[in-house]
Amino acid sequence: MRRLGYLVREALTNIRLNRTTTLIAVATTAFTLACFGVFLLLYLNLRGMASSLQDDIKVIVYLHDALTAQGVTALQHQIKAEPEVASLTYVSKEQALADFHAQFPSESHLLQGLGENPLPASFVVTLVPKFRSSDAVKRWSDRLRSVPGVAQVQYSREWIENLAVVVGYLELAAVAVGTVLSAASVTIIANTIRLTLYARRDEIEIMRLIGATGAFIKTPYLLEGSVLGALGAGLALVLLKGGFEFFKQQLGEPGRFLGIEAGFGFFPDHVSFLMVLAGLVLGFLGSFVSLFGFGRVRS
Amino acid sequence: MIQLFHVSKYYDRRPALFDVTIRIEKGEFVLLMGPSGAGKTTLLKLLFCAERPDEGQILVQNRNVARIKSSQVPALRRTMGFVFQDFKLLPKKNVFENVALPLMVQGVSSFDTRRKVAEALKAVGIEHKKESRPAMLSAGEQQRVCIARAIVNGPLILLADEPTGNMDPDLAGEIMELFKTINARGTTVMIATHNRQVVEQVNRRVVTLVQGHLASDEGAGQ
Ligand SMILES: Nc1ncnc2c1ncn2[C@@H]1O[C@H](COP(=O)(O)OP(=O)(O)O)[C@@H](O)[C@H]1O
Ligand SMILES: [Mg+2]
Repeated sequence: MRRLGYLVREALTNIRLNRTTTLIAVATTAFTLACFGVFLLLYLNLRGMASSLQDDIKVIVYLHDALTAQGVTALQHQIKAEPEVASLTYVSKEQALADFHAQFPSESHLLQGLGENPLPASFVVTLVPKFRSSDAVKRWSDRLRSVPGVAQVQYSREWIENLAVVVGYLELAAVAVGTVLSAASVTIIANTIRLTLYARRDEIEIMRLIGATGAFIKTPYLLEGSVLGALGAGLALVLLKGGFEFFKQQLGEPGRFLGIEAGFGFFPDHVSFLMVLAGLVLGFLGSFVSLFGFGRVRS
Repeated sequence: MIQLFHVSKYYDRRPALFDVTIRIEKGEFVLLMGPSGAGKTTLLKLLFCAERPDEGQILVQNRNVARIKSSQVPALRRTMGFVFQDFKLLPKKNVFENVALPLMVQGVSSFDTRRKVAEALKAVGIEHKKESRPAMLSAGEQQRVCIARAIVNGPLILLADEPTGNMDPDLAGEIMELFKTINARGTTVMIATHNRQVVEQVNRRVVTLVQGHLASDEGAGQ
């Protein structure tokens, strides 16, 4: 307990004594992590969007006009029994026409000349989540097309597939950018700790000579690095939040973006927490790297 | 307590110590004599595991320090006290904190630390300076702080490298008396010096090194 107190005090003294270096290290780390944060923010938002689109995915099964009421009921039971299907709503010809009039009042005249209702009856099918991937939807739709009584099967395939591809690329980019910037953060903190080690090399030698263990000597520096990393990450979050709010204001009121509510959100709390934790781990690694080099040079 | 068997240590292929064999019993007081460059510091460093021998074996308290794992070095050092030639005091810490350092690294409670540091400072006669920074003390006082730090643990062995280095004879005498007192309480003491006067003053066993070789070993068993 007493030793822990001593070690924490030593770490804080180090930070205080090298105020300028510490500040620069924290600022640089913050900037580096903020760059990564921008990517992460973009990625998480687009992924959220993609998955909400995926959740929204509805397959519309148009029925042959010739199908009798019993036929419709039988088909409804048959489709509902499929393992891929979560729920299903029947839209009759009359309902479809009413929907059309409601949605496109100015185009109503298009249908008037045709006399008879030209719109087919349909089932609007929601799939169970694990069959909502583009592949699964395509497979199921293709199979359903050959079922007697089914005229046509439709879903908004391409654009979901495109978005999935974009999200996939972004994921790769985030991993690549993250790796490079993490390495940069580790290097920055390692250099800062190296300066502290250099400034205190006499003291470290004395500690060794009077019987301090390696762990006892290293702990304050590992703490210092971890604190620097966590502070850097915290500052990065503040910067990101500021930038995020600024852009939100510039873009104005949440509008509609490609048909979905442009509900761009900041990191949820647990992601923010993970960012700070990641900063702490990177800082710890930075110290570790510099201590490793230091020990090797000395022994 | 301390045994060296045919120990050699080379720096850049030149021997700093060559084929040295010495045996020191528990409670002995040994002066390690020799001109500058004779290998005195090197010998002390070997005992303290600050250096490793190139040849030979070294037993300290029946442990072979020539082969000791580096993870066991701290534990060994905690049973020994060392008075460094260049003091090695921490300039930003006061006397109390400097003397308390060996206890601190072992996690001794603050109550025991205060008691042991007070005892050590009293033994060397500078309890009134415990709030001072080392830079505000005279050379003699700094040396006393170093000795206090070396004995605060109650070590079995006390090693000192030129502890009377640049001191006038009176002061050197006082410091040597201090070592004798510590020795009288049962601590094995080994002091490296190139000062002939000290030898006359102390009148104990004298081991002489010349160019890394053991030249003479006189007055043993007194
Ligand atoms: N770290 C070192 N590197 C190279 N040579 C050294 C080193 N330490 C000591 N020596 C050499 O070893 C010899 C013995 O040195 P030392 O043990 O310091 O002598 P003393 O303490 O008796 O004056 C000297 O010739 C010195 O130059
Ligand atoms: Mg010497």
